[in-house]
Amino acid sequence: MPRPALRTAHATTLLSFALPVGVGVMFLLGWHAAVRISGSDLFPTPVEVGRGLLELARQGLLLKYVVASLFRVSWGFALAVAVGVPAGLLLGWYSRGFQAFNPMIQIFRPISPIAWIPVAILWFGVTDAAPIFLIFLASVFPITVSSIAAVQNMQPVYLRAAQNFGLSRGELFRQVILRASLPQIITGIRIALGVAWLVVVAAEMIAVNSGLGYLIIDARNAGKRYDLVVAGMVMIGVIGLVLDLLVRQLEKFDEVRWGYARR
Amino acid sequence: MSFRKTLLITAFVVLGGITLLHGALNLGWFAPRATTASGAARDKFRVGFLPVTCHLTCPVTDFINKQTTGGSNFDPVRFHGWPELKEAYLSGYTPVTFILAPMAIALREQGVPIKIVYLGHREGGDVMVHKDSGIYRTEDLRGKTVAVPGRYANHRLIFYRELKKAGMKLSDVNLVEMPPPDMPAALYSRSVDAITSGEPFPGQTEMDGYGRALYRVKEVWPGFISCVLAVHEDVIKNRRAEVQALVDGIAKSGKWLDANMTNRVDAAQFVSKFYYNQHPRLLEFVLSKPPDRVIYSNLKPLRANFEEIEQLAKEAGILQGTAHFDDYVDTSFAPEDDAVQPHPYATAQR
Repeated sequence: MPRPALRTAHATTLLSFALPVGVGVMFLLGWHAAVRISGSDLFPTPVEVGRGLLELARQGLLLKYVVASLFRVSWGFALAVAVGVPAGLLLGWYSRGFQAFNPMIQIFRPISPIAWIPVAILWFGVTDAAPIFLIFLASVFPITVSSIAAVQNMQPVYLRAAQNFGLSRGELFRQVILRASLPQIITGIRIALGVAWLVVVAAEMIAVNSGLGYLIIDARNAGKRYDLVVAGMVMIGVIGLVLDLLVRQLEKFDEVRWGYARR
Repeated sequence: MSFRKTLLITAFVVLGGITLLHGALNLGWFAPRATTASGAARDKFRVGFLPVTCHLTCPVTDFINKQTTGGSNFDPVRFHGWPELKEAYLSGYTPVTFILAPMAIALREQGVPIKIVYLGHREGGDVMVHKDSGIYRTEDLRGKTVAVPGRYANHRLIFYRELKKAGMKLSDVNLVEMPPPDMPAALYSRSVDAITSGEPFPGQTEMDGYGRALYRVKEVWPGFISCVLAVHEDVIKNRRAEVQALVDGIAKSGKWLDANMTNRVDAAQFVSKFYYNQHPRLLEFVLSKPPDRVIYSNLKPLRANFEEIEQLAKEAGILQGTAHFDDYVDTSFAPEDDAVQPHPYATAQR
């Protein structure tokens, strides 16, 4: 017989697995019942969606579309990090720069990527560059803004300590500012990754011919294939979950973990 | 491993890996380049189209070219909606495009160097109402919600013309703009009372048994035109021979489609499968029931047709009336209808 402590540990692991699965199953049952009760023959049941996914997988399209979407999101998002984090750190540190650029950032920030579609097509045609540009636009602002806030909200005690040690400007930036703001920047990056993945449907409304967003739009063209529309939604959701789990791995590093107080 | 190192390596591996996978699966980077062996193949122009029967000759020509000569002289690019198709044309990405006639004229009025060189089709499209609705005449639509594809759609113009005949104004109905692919579901759920667009979307409501034709476009406007083949003026100037080859191919495809029902059924199969990604049954339905729902002959642009469209569009408030037939049409590529022979391609060859 296991010792009580071990049993509790087991129970906790089991529970952390069983709870979300239980909610998922309830959701699927509710969905199925709702379709059956309403008698809709347009909206698919979970089983039909599953069959749609199988059909896509068998045709080899599922993998192709997932890869295409991940490709666009990875590049758009990577560019956004490469631009957003340095820009945010600089603007957070130099208050004059912040004064100068902040209004412009706040003007661009609320513009939906959908509104940028015409511009993206005019500039990039219907190549992969257009959706990458849209994903970049959607994710660069949350990253920039959270990086600015991270530096601005840094505790002054770190700076004073650094000054006492007589750190050079470069050292100050690398060893103190970057490290102190990292946890908050990572949070911003996590949110931005969600946003980047969120706009993949809109970004793929441009006539690219692959991707999960494309799958949804293409299925609308295909007549009564709402099972494939929902299949696209399901894939986007599931991959979003996986991406978030992956980014959360960053929080395991000491450099980041110190900033998170676990309850 | 340090945080920084992990981050850099992960980023490198993820970006590199996903790029290679995307290149291999979707861009054909590692595929053998057998089909594009000729040097000229690199330089083909792209032709924009939508998955509607108004643009059917585009995929049909491409397919027959590939079957008979092993390669096509153009790259068909499928769009999902008019705005994206138009923007790709404006950006120069698709210097040749299938487009709504009034949209092409409006672009000309706004100074875009565009010329209509051939028609996409004649007729095709209906005004559909729900089979259980009490709507049997145009007059019954008073106060009802009607979905149209957009401001520049000819189906909106013809609807306007019918309203006028019935002594009604556009303001007597509640017009909503909606992408045609969304129309069948909207009619099914009865969130709109009537829909009108090019095929196959009205046909779909009929095939699935909940739509009833209030009238077919061909009944009220024989020879009706909605989509045309339009070309950038620079392409006309610099690549005449290629434009001519494209127009000839499209003319032959039109004749081929109208030659017999076997060809139409065959086209429904390969276009659904390789180009439109729709159910073959749907295309087969709209191409065969009735067999002349959409026709693809007599596609030379005629002055009288366009003057009628111009006049009507001006009345309906979508055109200024500053561009005329000679400004936006170049008839020099269009063969006379009698001179067009169907493609010598037949199903039996395969």
